[in-house]
Amino acid sequence: MSMVAELILNADSEARYLGPKEIHIFQDFLSSGEQRMRIARFLAENESRIVQNGTNKFWERCPVTPSNSGVERKTNSCMRDQGWYVRLIAYSVMAGSEKPLEEIGTIGIKEMYNSLEIPIRNIAECMQCLKEEAVSMMNEEDAGEVAPYFDFIIQSLS
Amino acid sequence: MQDLITSTINTFDVRAQYPDSDAMNRLENYFKSGDLRAKASLAISANAKSIITKAVAKSLMYTDITAPGGNMYTCRRYAACIRDLEYFLRYATYAMLAGDPSILEERVLNGLRETYNSLGVPIGGTVRAVQAMKEVTADLVGTEAGKEMGVYFDYICSGLS
Repeated sequence: MSMVAELILNADSEARYLGPKEIHIFQDFLSSGEQRMRIARFLAENESRIVQNGTNKFWERCPVTPSNSGVERKTNSCMRDQGWYVRLIAYSVMAGSEKPLEEIGTIGIKEMYNSLEIPIRNIAECMQCLKEEAVSMMNEEDAGEVAPYFDFIIQSLS
Repeated sequence: MQDLITSTINTFDVRAQYPDSDAMNRLENYFKSGDLRAKASLAISANAKSIITKAVAKSLMYTDITAPGGNMYTCRRYAACIRDLEYFLRYATYAMLAGDPSILEERVLNGLRETYNSLGVPIGGTVRAVQAMKEVTADLVGTEAGKEMGVYFDYICSGLS
């Protein structure tokens, strides 16, 4: 759910139109759309570089991990998942809300990786490396928009 | 409910893709239209009652439907009709703000045709009233916003017929 949907559902629960304050929030949200679209585009275009560099950094810090065990399938799965998380963050930036990330990618994340027998702490470290790579390619303002979503994933793993 | 942003995300997530350039353009246009949509919503909410009054005068008031034996005859039925038109206007305004018709589907149209048929409410008259609301609203909010509202009024009509 995005901020727009939240405002509408809230008004609908009282069977009324959006009030002046809600309309202001709506306008502010839409006017920040340009920046958020730019960030989403940047993440889409640089996903593979972020994942590649992030993976190298992750293996330096955490050499004993399934993705670095020489089993190609595991390496590919790990990098695919990282790319997916970058994509989910792009969705969340577009929506201006952690909801897409949460609904698609963090509810059940611990249970899933536990069942896959992948150490949770390694996943968290991997996400930290992805964040550092992504943020290092962006200006301060854009980085400030993106970083909290990586932190959100890391928190959901703790 | 979905809005243009979440419906785009849901469409592309099942394909594990970023939104394509068409979808990105649609989103960018939506973001740019924030002021237009906000102003339209404020104007409609401030004039909701008079939109309904004018639309009814245009479409239903002077027809057989309000005469004895018609479906709007008796104050109780007349009031129920007005109430439904108010719902249509409010939900069309929500959908216009969201840039997506899913809230109409979920909260207005789902089962409405069956309900109207079982109550004997004529679909043709309802559609005429919604079309009249579309015209009255466009006069109020201007061509551009009126066109966008028109998308959702038409959506209601096609969902009913």
